[in-house]
Amino acid sequence: MGIAPEFLGYPRADGSAGTRNRLLVLSILGLTGAGAQRIARQVPGALLVALPYGRGQFGEDRAMTRRMLIGLGRNPNAGAVLLVGADRQRLDIVAEGIMASGKRVEAIALDDVHEDSLALSDRGVRLAAALARDMSRARRVPLPASLLRLGTECGHSDATSGLGANPLAGLVADRLVDAGGAAVFGETMEWLGAEHVLAARAQTPEIGRAIVDAVAQRERWAAATGEDLTGNNPGAENIRGGLSSIEEKSLGAIAKGGSRPVQGVLPHAAPIPGPGLWVMEGPSFSPPSVTGFVAAGCNMTMFTTGPGNSYCDALAPTVKVTVNPKTAARLHHQIDFDGSGLMRGTREPEDAADALFAQLLDHASGTRTWGEVLDEGGYAFARLGADF
Amino acid sequence: MAMRWDLLVLHPEDDVAVALRDLEAGEAIARCGEALAPLQLCAPVPLGHKVARHAIEPGQHVRKYGAVIGEATAPIAAGAHLHVHNMRSLRARKRGEEQQ
Repeated sequence: MGIAPEFLGYPRADGSAGTRNRLLVLSILGLTGAGAQRIARQVPGALLVALPYGRGQFGEDRAMTRRMLIGLGRNPNAGAVLLVGADRQRLDIVAEGIMASGKRVEAIALDDVHEDSLALSDRGVRLAAALARDMSRARRVPLPASLLRLGTECGHSDATSGLGANPLAGLVADRLVDAGGAAVFGETMEWLGAEHVLAARAQTPEIGRAIVDAVAQRERWAAATGEDLTGNNPGAENIRGGLSSIEEKSLGAIAKGGSRPVQGVLPHAAPIPGPGLWVMEGPSFSPPSVTGFVAAGCNMTMFTTGPGNSYCDALAPTVKVTVNPKTAARLHHQIDFDGSGLMRGTREPEDAADALFAQLLDHASGTRTWGEVLDEGGYAFARLGADF
Repeated sequence: MAMRWDLLVLHPEDDVAVALRDLEAGEAIARCGEALAPLQLCAPVPLGHKVARHAIEPGQHVRKYGAVIGEATAPIAAGAHLHVHNMRSLRARKRGEEQQ
């Protein structure tokens, strides 16, 4: 072994590490999105995340939304948080959850300003400005790669994804886990057909059963809407691309998680408890899937694509990876890592993985991804139930 | 001249190599870990499609990524194109039998 890998990051009070130092303006209710947006626009560098709903939610749906709000606030890439909402009661619940990490939080409610949205944003800008000034004192210092929390995702796949890009992401996830860090991947429905392989890699039989159960639960949900997820899977386009069975398709998808033992199945947006490889139960569409990783504490994300996909996370820098030579040549301002040497048959997977891991550490240290340069970052809040 | 290979074996225990580009029938080179090995292709194989590394009997499991991806439904020669015409999912078959 060589020297332990490091990056330059922001040490946080709870022992985690920021790869960025953003002021997060977090609107926790659909009523205050516009006011929060006015605040964020007036404080350069502030990042707006606005929950578009927030009342009339019950049970696990409400619990998951709370986890997401608190988790995004606690994410180490947020140096401080301004919470915006309508009432003190909801703000206090979220604020307490975030402040337990030792992070500085301010909160402003519409109730405080007699429902005057302009007064809300005026007071909010003053609070946000003070936070932004104070948190700019943070400095990057050398930190071990074990503090990285990496979410791996694939979006818009083609025949090169399962063959090259996902196994490459998996080799990088393995390197991070071996360095003491944590990696997570999700998209439960993409385990379908390979859940027995994932389960066999679980740290305990109970975790293995939880993996199989998570897939069965999503299958039941789909069946209740009249969808049969195994019947016509892989689809015609997959078959043209060379995929012969659902097992093969799913093995190509879960390859992005690497080969290390699975430490547990996390509910969507639940905090990553420690180092190692984790799987997250959740939706397959990239925006809500990746937002779940970031709420779980991921400070970096890695995103593989075949023909291209511009989606990036707003808070955790997204390293975009392709091995498709045409995509790499065509999307110069989207693809951060060109692994097309793998498809040309001129570059060994292990060599490409070493280079991508080094680039991940470089982006973690502050080098911007194309998605950051072009401000492509987004977020999406997954749901588990109907509004009442 | 730098070495260049045409197919990739994703796991050393795999029964298949995967085409890295559209390949013609005839001699090709497969990479497996550190090693390069010649493979005689029986027919043209498109990018992303599988080729048998050795002969496979009907009913035998087919491995890729070091895991079983299905079973052979016909005799498959070494170097033959391996796809839905000569293999099938175990998972989808099991599901079909449950429904009957």
